[in-house]
Amino acid sequence: MAKNSSLGAEGLASGSGLWKTFLASTLVLALGLIVLLQTTAQGNAFTTETLRRTEVANAPSLVPELSVYDADGNQNTLRQVLAEGDKVWIVDFVYTRCQTICVTLGTVFQQLQHQIRLRGLDDKVGLLSVSFDPAHDTSDALRIYRDRMRMDPSIWRVVTLSSPLDRRQLLDAFGIIVIPAPLGEFEHNAALHLVTGSGRLFRIVDYEDATVALDTALATAP
Amino acid sequence: MRHKWFSPFALWIGLALCLLGSTLSIPPVRSLIEQSMTWHMVVQMPILFAGGWFLMGGGWDLTKKSLGSWNQFGLTGFIAAQLIITYWMLPISIDRAVVMPQVDVFKVLSLLASGALVQISVSRSPVVLQLFFVGYTVSMLISTGVFLATTERRLCNAYSMESQLSAGYGVVALGVALACAWGFRINRHNP
Repeated sequence: MAKNSSLGAEGLASGSGLWKTFLASTLVLALGLIVLLQTTAQGNAFTTETLRRTEVANAPSLVPELSVYDADGNQNTLRQVLAEGDKVWIVDFVYTRCQTICVTLGTVFQQLQHQIRLRGLDDKVGLLSVSFDPAHDTSDALRIYRDRMRMDPSIWRVVTLSSPLDRRQLLDAFGIIVIPAPLGEFEHNAALHLVTGSGRLFRIVDYEDATVALDTALATAP
Repeated sequence: MRHKWFSPFALWIGLALCLLGSTLSIPPVRSLIEQSMTWHMVVQMPILFAGGWFLMGGGWDLTKKSLGSWNQFGLTGFIAAQLIITYWMLPISIDRAVVMPQVDVFKVLSLLASGALVQISVSRSPVVLQLFFVGYTVSMLISTGVFLATTERRLCNAYSMESQLSAGYGVVALGVALACAWGFRINRHNP
């Protein structure tokens, strides 16, 4: 300890009253753990994505009443689109120029469409792709996307926002964060969103678990 | 005796780092930390920590003495700093700091505080206790960094996969740098 006086002796020299330090440390530790647990939804969510999914599963939320149009140029509100046909909807978010994650999502939706048609579930489950890039995705662009994806309009629909100003509200409601990426692309968190016909977002499932999404949708379908 | 030659110098360095670290949270410079996870985790966060460290290194003996009985062996300060650093390693906290300005203010203040707390605590702490906390932080930084650099999952919704990858290597480097800095300090105090 002798040659180490500058490092350790000060603490030792203070002598009695170690209980103060013990008390302060315990308080700090408790406070810190409370903050950490609060932030991570009691240790369940260490990423924003898992938090978003946990929150939605615990407390389904109503999607906003935003004006959208489809590939044929028909204007409607998002909730009216969802209310059609008394179905549960599997919703994804795309932009039609996308060369990365949306291509994967497109394939997942094509497989889901195939499943739905094969099992005759088209009166129970619908697919809805929502473009968050209304500036580029005109009805023409949506039509080209629809043809490219070989969408069956009775199962799979695609819409975009009528007003680019609603973009923030749409993305916030579903917990989507879009960030600009090189080559004019966007990077965004991709998942399958289950929404009831009454417009309630009740579950978010990984796009790799399309079967889980379909089964959950069927279990909830009227 | 400690650091007498160093004190005013440390104060200026501390002030400069505080200013630099805080500026990175203010537009237009803010776009750097919004677009790059490396700028956020590997540049800004350590600058803030170092800012707090040097500012407190400027010799605030009053604070050190009056609160000393609450921080014997530097235990309280180390625990608090450890919790703050752990908090800012979480992807969810990093995302929030990017998206919510009030969380970003909390980030700047808490990281400055963590540096200051370690500065207050390290001089009154036995080497074994320092080894425990520094060792824990170093291993946390390295394992977090390796995880960021190797996972297939995009952990922060605010950052791209490429950004996460390079930040991962940076965080590993931070861990190594911290270990070296501590080793250097121990060596200087125990020749």
